[in-house]
Amino acid sequence: MATTSITQASPAPEIPALGIGPRLAYFLMLAGLLPVALTGIGTFALGQAPMTHWILMAHVGASPVFAVGLTLVALTWPSREARYGGFSWFLFWLLLFAGWIVVVSGVLPMTPLLGTDGQHFLYLTHRYAGIAVAILTVLHLLSLRPRR
Amino acid sequence: MSPIRASVSDSFPPSHVRTRSRKNVLRGALPFLLGWLLAAGGEASAADSVGTESRMPYRHVIPLRDHAGDMITPPPAFDEQGKPQEPRGSPYSTAQTCGRCHDYPSISQGWHFNAATTNVPAGRPGEPWILTDPATRTQLPLSYRGWKGTFRPADVGMSDYDFLVQFARHFPGGGVGEPPKDRIATNDVRMRRMQITGALEIDCLICHNKSGHYDHEARFKAVTAENFKWAPTIASELGAYGASRPAKAFADAWRPPRPAPTNLPPIKYERHRFDSGNHVLIDITRKPSPSTCYYCHTSESNLGDSRWHSDGDIHIRAGMSCVDCHRNGIDHQVVRGYEGEINDRPVSQESIALRTRLILRDDPAISEADARKLAESRLNEEVGKVETLSCSGCHYGSADGQFAGRLGAPRPQHVGFPPIHFEKLACTACHSGPIPGDAVEIVHTSLAHKLGLPAPPRGANTAPAIVQPVFLRDVSGKIAPHKMVWPSYWGILTNGVVSPLLPDVVAKAAGDKLPTQAPADVERDPYNTKPLTNDQIRDVLTALAAGRTLGEPVFLASGKLHRLANNELQAEDHAAAEPYAWPLGHDVCPASQSVGGVKGCADCHSLDSPIYFGIVAARGPIGPKDAVSKTHLNMRGDDETVTSTFAFTFKFRPMLKVVTFGCALILLGVLLGRAFVALSGARSGMGRQSK
Repeated sequence: MATTSITQASPAPEIPALGIGPRLAYFLMLAGLLPVALTGIGTFALGQAPMTHWILMAHVGASPVFAVGLTLVALTWPSREARYGGFSWFLFWLLLFAGWIVVVSGVLPMTPLLGTDGQHFLYLTHRYAGIAVAILTVLHLLSLRPRR
Repeated sequence: MSPIRASVSDSFPPSHVRTRSRKNVLRGALPFLLGWLLAAGGEASAADSVGTESRMPYRHVIPLRDHAGDMITPPPAFDEQGKPQEPRGSPYSTAQTCGRCHDYPSISQGWHFNAATTNVPAGRPGEPWILTDPATRTQLPLSYRGWKGTFRPADVGMSDYDFLVQFARHFPGGGVGEPPKDRIATNDVRMRRMQITGALEIDCLICHNKSGHYDHEARFKAVTAENFKWAPTIASELGAYGASRPAKAFADAWRPPRPAPTNLPPIKYERHRFDSGNHVLIDITRKPSPSTCYYCHTSESNLGDSRWHSDGDIHIRAGMSCVDCHRNGIDHQVVRGYEGEINDRPVSQESIALRTRLILRDDPAISEADARKLAESRLNEEVGKVETLSCSGCHYGSADGQFAGRLGAPRPQHVGFPPIHFEKLACTACHSGPIPGDAVEIVHTSLAHKLGLPAPPRGANTAPAIVQPVFLRDVSGKIAPHKMVWPSYWGILTNGVVSPLLPDVVAKAAGDKLPTQAPADVERDPYNTKPLTNDQIRDVLTALAAGRTLGEPVFLASGKLHRLANNELQAEDHAAAEPYAWPLGHDVCPASQSVGGVKGCADCHSLDSPIYFGIVAARGPIGPKDAVSKTHLNMRGDDETVTSTFAFTFKFRPMLKVVTFGCALILLGVLLGRAFVALSGARSGMGRQSK
């Protein structure tokens, strides 16, 4: 009877489980994203851009929730993201990057840094990065299935 | 003394331009000249198509012509017997004198003259004429253009002639001043006076005089005395009246069907103005100076001796003139300078005819129909450039990005202003008029307050009461500052519609019920500005109701309709009492003094922002407590809850910025950290592979 000797490999680093903190952070990000996307993409899709009145207030009011949620996700998820595979990992970092662009292009127009052309560029950047964030979030949610 | 000989032997144009003129006539202008004469009914001679076509203004040493087209020639100073002769003659005619070279029929279509022409688009609401009568407390906005909220003179029983007597002081002539001959010949007791007073021709020198020797006060006195056809000559200081009796007296004494008197006062010309060839130097400018425009277009809110605080318009300060932007061609369709004006500027038939003539001159092979099509197409293309003369057109360029920076206009940076502001606000919202305060302020204008003419100092209560800046939405839907006047008049309410009564009708019907000013009070309050009391209004309404079977007398003032109910005065809202508003464009201020340039966002986005929460209190001849008072946002129909909530959210704006910037920084750190790790991993991987 042949025996097989198995070489003991060094154990892979353990991926921490997704605890309540990261889950809450992700939920917070989604809670912020939902009204922001509905108001922002909704008015754009309906040809009603730019936003005004209550829509604008809802959009601006929910935006810090999204920004804080995204930041907490950025702080709590990277070590755990590998649980969900390479594609999810890729989407995650793309989401963070697009989210950062959305946040920056949302807040920079409130500062006396850019003129009309720069403001317009930021406005369009915010719009299309925002659409990208919404799509990436949906894809990322779908990719969140732990590897067996 | 012999009168000035009207001579046609001294042919026109002057010899130094004659050769070219003849050529032009021979080349094909003659058929059009004839057609033109027919079209114009022979009222004015058609242009002779002469010109210098140089940027250097032509030195106008020209013959003066009377209304018959005859040259005005002063007799020698002494006759053959050695007796002195006075240089008497008919007044000169601008249509005959200027119209010899400049296309008078085309000019007559200009914005300053064409208000009563029915097929001219009214365009954006503009300043109305305001019929003001302190005794009856009337301030009634009038306009031939049909702007909503104004009355056409005929609708209130005012003839064109009465309009001229009232407003020719600031009306340059033409239009209603030159009615067709058949209108003058009718039995209209007012219009037929023009058989004596003459027509009020366009007085070209009101704008184009460069010498500074144009006497507006003399013109005012002339038109008040109904010396219409004398006015241009008197105001230009070419001569004085040769007799003291005004045309008004002749017209008053005239009893048709007796023939109209012909012994009207002549002009005693200034002999020294005529050269040896009986030509007169008229110092003309193509581009009138701002001072010239200000005679009719002054708008002053620094009342009394506080005027020296005003900086004026930044463009004028920079050395520009009004006509750099408010331009026009020979058709005198002056660019008004608002966005979307192109839609209100159809090319006139006169312009097409003129351009057709030029094309035919340049290309004898082209057919008249083709020339006309080409002319129309070129003119339409040129009209497109009107868009580049609005604020945004000049500073940003037209919609297709063309022609930005005309006259060196800098491209505004608008640092820190999100683009939505430019979709919601007109340029003037931040840059024109006075910086808005908690309440609107009184403004005087030339047309309304006879500025430019000497009078006792006008005060804050001098009628008509016009306020500014009121932030309303303009025709494009953008918020823009406006001037506003609340109509004030006595009228008859029938089936919900109020028909105004003219002041003389009210004065006659009300008799002694109208309060009269004590003589001792006249010096202190020369404009009789004391508000009416409720009792006085009730008494006048009662007097107006006496003997009336149809309609109910009412009084509109300060945004309310006042009527009698069981002999008690009742004030209520009514559409007829709504104010009339028109956008203001000047004075333009620089960014540092603009709204938003002083306190930044808080200039507008705060709970005490004047453009939202400032008070617009109606002004008129009743006590302020009875007047309508609203905020700017109420005036333009904005939602108060939305506006105040939005303003309230700006209290949290600094916190929002801190939180969002903090998040952005942390996110950036995480992203850079990940990038660093990835790069380090890649480097170490490459290192292992190389080993």
